[in-house]
Amino acid sequence: MGQQLFIFGAAFLGSAVESVEALTIVLAVGLTRGWREPLLGTAAALALLVALVLAFGQLIVTTIPDSALKLVVGTLLLLFGLRWLHRAVLRSAGVVAMHDEEHAYNQAVSQLGDAASRRDWVGFVLALKGVFLEGLEVVFIVIAVGGTGHGFPAAIAGGILAAIVVAATGLVVRRPLARVPENTLKYGVGVILTSLGTFWAAEGMGAAWPLDFVSILGLVVVYFAASRVAIALIRRPALA
Amino acid sequence: MRFLRAAARQVVGLFVGDWLQSVVVLLIIGAGWFAVTRFGAPALVPLVALLAGQLVWFARAASSPPH
Repeated sequence: MGQQLFIFGAAFLGSAVESVEALTIVLAVGLTRGWREPLLGTAAALALLVALVLAFGQLIVTTIPDSALKLVVGTLLLLFGLRWLHRAVLRSAGVVAMHDEEHAYNQAVSQLGDAASRRDWVGFVLALKGVFLEGLEVVFIVIAVGGTGHGFPAAIAGGILAAIVVAATGLVVRRPLARVPENTLKYGVGVILTSLGTFWAAEGMGAAWPLDFVSILGLVVVYFAASRVAIALIRRPALA
Repeated sequence: MRFLRAAARQVVGLFVGDWLQSVVVLLIIGAGWFAVTRFGAPALVPLVALLAGQLVWFARAASSPPH
């Protein structure tokens, strides 16, 4: 039960971060070019992403032996989580600028203004491309977290719920979700995914963790402490 | 075609931010696999320490000005 909740939470938080980025693109396209094409593009991208989850999810769970699955997916999850965590450390230390949805939104709107004379399908393609590319990370998180931990329903539920919550919020405010603490979320999810990746990769090697699943909490503490040390060592005045 | 190239770049970019860091992580995992099969659970301690250590190392490397 605890493991399923952990899988649900990791899938929800990871998917929420990426959904915010996808929403920024859809809002920028919808508010500048009308809503019909961007919404059709979004629906097409979501259908493609669901098909990917179902196809690859079933394939890896039914064809790859458990230990190999844990080693390969755990290693990929570790690389994925470390990439987020590395970026979050640099942002928190002020080495690179914080991700700013308001800025990303304004940039997208300005680019769309330049493309205003093109045909109507531009809105469809932009929304499809944006949602599909951002959604690939959601697909990976759901497949990796759900497939390796035998918790596909929990992972898929977490991913879908995150997309619904973000979409509903975007529908209400009709503005980029600049108040979502995206950098903090990415930091937290980076620590969780790195810990899960280490846990599963080591299990795939044949190691038995002391206290089994509870060891993940210990890994979370270790990676969080390492990231704080890194931030303390490289801290600079914050960039805008 | 451009869309497919962008999708492929995105997939590689999911796992690789810095190629050197990714290679180092894979080497640590490889060494960890070797150590775990020989020494069992105690090998997890240096494995986790190395993975946490490379996070600090590469953050420092990324923050230092280019020569």
